[in-house]
Amino acid sequence: MPPNRDALPHPSAFKVLFLTILFGLVAYMVVVIVGLVVYPPLPALIESLTAPEILFAIKLSLITSAISTTLCVIGAIPVAYSLARFSFPGRGFINSIFNIPLALPPLVAGVALLIFYGPSKFGQMLSAAGLDVIYTPLGIIIAQFFVNLPYMVRVTRSAFETINPRYEHVARTLGCTEWGAFHQVTLPLARSGIIAGLIITWSKSIGEFGAVLMLAGATQMKTETLPIALFLNMSTGDLDLAIAASIILIAISVTSLVVFERFSGGRGVF
Amino acid sequence: MLSVRALSLSLGEFSLDSVDLAVVDGEYFIILGPTGAGKTILLETIAGIYTPEAGTISLDGRDITNTEPKDRGIGMVYQDYMLFPHLTIEENIGFGLRQQKADPARIRDLVSETADMLGIGHLLGRTPGTLSGGEQQRAAIARALVLRPRILLLDEPLSALDATTRDRLRRELKSIHRTTGTTVIHITHHFEDIFALADRVAVMQNGKIVQTGTPDEVFRRPATEFVAAFTGMENVFYGVSRIRSGEATIDLGAITLRTVTTVEGDVCVGIRPEEVIVSREAFESSAINAFSGTVVEIQQNGIFSRLVVDAGLPLVAVLTRQSVARLDLAEGERAHITFKASAVHVFPR
Repeated sequence: MPPNRDALPHPSAFKVLFLTILFGLVAYMVVVIVGLVVYPPLPALIESLTAPEILFAIKLSLITSAISTTLCVIGAIPVAYSLARFSFPGRGFINSIFNIPLALPPLVAGVALLIFYGPSKFGQMLSAAGLDVIYTPLGIIIAQFFVNLPYMVRVTRSAFETINPRYEHVARTLGCTEWGAFHQVTLPLARSGIIAGLIITWSKSIGEFGAVLMLAGATQMKTETLPIALFLNMSTGDLDLAIAASIILIAISVTSLVVFERFSGGRGVF
Repeated sequence: MLSVRALSLSLGEFSLDSVDLAVVDGEYFIILGPTGAGKTILLETIAGIYTPEAGTISLDGRDITNTEPKDRGIGMVYQDYMLFPHLTIEENIGFGLRQQKADPARIRDLVSETADMLGIGHLLGRTPGTLSGGEQQRAAIARALVLRPRILLLDEPLSALDATTRDRLRRELKSIHRTTGTTVIHITHHFEDIFALADRVAVMQNGKIVQTGTPDEVFRRPATEFVAAFTGMENVFYGVSRIRSGEATIDLGAITLRTVTTVEGDVCVGIRPEEVIVSREAFESSAINAFSGTVVEIQQNGIFSRLVVDAGLPLVAVLTRQSVARLDLAEGERAHITFKASAVHVFPR
């Protein structure tokens, strides 16, 4: 029988060192996050969680993220499908373009959006048409969409890529149009991948700060999403409200992570 | 009748190069060729998945080159089944009928009728992942057949199955073809499929059809060296096999062979030329099949010579040139041929 390393009486120094680092860092992360949650006394926390400003931020965050996530899904499905299935000139290049916002600091994306919707020709046209993006809730949606679309595209594309195109071929010989094959076969098969993408996109758009700050500003009770509320209250020293916003964001992140893991089946995004 | 003319298409590493093909109604047509020959994209182009760069496809005189796959009446079955995993077997088989907005009761009837024909009637409520490979392939065939296609395309339908299942499904394909009369185009690289099923065979290589003919023609007179190498069995005969006390005799009409097999009835036999021994005189040996005949042809082929001895049937043997010289063989002279029972490969028809 070959020697079983796990059965050795003394674990090797290598294993001890690596596992120590692993458990040390896990403990560090848990302590930091749990520390924030348990820091404020419970009555104060409940009061902060139900403060009008926080309730407004929750509502605004939910509405804007729901809209921007929906837009991301609508945009990402054709993009992801095209990247997964069609061959066309410049496919690799286009793929890279869709990855730019992943690498770009959201602040920079926000500034670019600010220029595009503000002083540019296009921005002036929109403004003349009465459509104001800058420093409005609409700006929040646009910023979230721009920054998070690539995540949705990535997850959805990998979902489509795992589906054998022959399923569609067979469906088409059985009487489906291309649309029918897509709708009746490919979409249902990609369902869990798309849901996983939707959750990660939604969670990221709830937490989006940099791009939103640049494009929509940080106006109390107007463009005040949860991260903006956290930022505003932190800068005015209102720690209880800041912590309340943080705790809600933590809850959203943890929940969406769990749901994402369940649907993605270990498919990576990052 | 399906007629493919000068069909060309290149698709990444696969291509079709001016493919001509005519398949008659009710025919069982097999396409043979190595991996990467372009067989699958030929089927997919016939099905309408890809639009050819040049050439035409017509079915019953109607040009369908640019017709949508759904309007061609051509069914497709892949080697790896491609059953929709999110649907039950019943929903899979009924998928095409539902696209036609057929009456639900009619769909149920047709689905269970077709499933029964393929022996999977008891599996209708299951999902594809819980079925064995053979059962999944039956379901995939049923899904295509239920629409009564003009042509059924089978892309290596037996290749993913174990030997026993493959033999059984092969027999069933034959009986399905007999009962439904559907025209079938079947891709394979198994000899047994050709012997058991094919009315005609086309051999494909590098995106081209290099030979078309009956199995007999293709095996006996390979048009190219490639076909010869790929088929490798030049002595192909049809006959009737009878088994008496463990030993089979195969009546080929002019001669009778003896061999060991479990196959009875109509068979196809193949004997590799290198397993045929040629001698001037008859000799006593353990090899049970011995015939005398006349040398009708000697062909020099590098260090080997290819000899055809007419012993009632033309039997091909391969000898070294030295052996031909040593035996002093020449066309028109008498010769004896001998081969062992185990040299006779028997395939059910």
